[in-house]
Amino acid sequence: MRRLLPLLLSTAFRLALWCLLTSDLSQLNLLIGLVVALLLPRARSRPLPVRVLLKATLRGLLAIPQAFAEALRLVMAPAMVEREDSEPATDRALPLLVFLDVFRITLTPFTIVLGLEDGGRRYRIHTLTPASKEDSEP
Amino acid sequence: MAHSLIDHASALLLGAGLVLWFWGTWPLLGTHSYLRKLHALSVADTLGSLLMLLGLLLRIPGQWPLLTLALLGLVVWNTIFGYVLAACSLPPRPHPATEQDSAP
Repeated sequence: MRRLLPLLLSTAFRLALWCLLTSDLSQLNLLIGLVVALLLPRARSRPLPVRVLLKATLRGLLAIPQAFAEALRLVMAPAMVEREDSEPATDRALPLLVFLDVFRITLTPFTIVLGLEDGGRRYRIHTLTPASKEDSEP
Repeated sequence: MAHSLIDHASALLLGAGLVLWFWGTWPLLGTHSYLRKLHALSVADTLGSLLMLLGLLLRIPGQWPLLTLALLGLVVWNTIFGYVLAACSLPPRPHPATEQDSAP
């Protein structure tokens, strides 16, 4: 099952996109979509740990409301400070997990991933946050 | 009644998206650092466009498949493109070893 999961997930995702694009759920269209989804080239992938993948996806979705909160705070802020930061990577062996991490961190306006550092064990992050009182006082 | 409520909610979302667009794109003309402009752009491009698409979704619910696709595409594309631009702003790294492919 774990070996089959990447295939199932990517095919389901492509089929879903096909259905949205054509907005047609007739049997023939579904069949064409399935053929296209299977024929498109796919990256070789290792077996995916389902639990870790679900957790990463959930964190990515939760980042969306958080992003709006941060955007609001930036819009309200009279002054901002830039810093460099870093965060441990979840698992660099799985490109999908790295992608989800980069998406989650970069989506929020406070943080942008600049790349991997320390041999891929940490993300180098650039942050822009509202200045606190100590920062703004000369 | 319900109709006008939806119209108002949609106008509110479109307006909020427009505010974020201007807030994020205006600093592009300024003299701030490159990365700071990217932070502002992620507010405008990703979050502003997301609000606008939600507003459009309320206004023309019949087109939901395409609007959902646009929403998904814009959020993922803008975010990852922001990361690519940020990564490109760095000077070339001295240790090519960290660039290794994760292929087995």
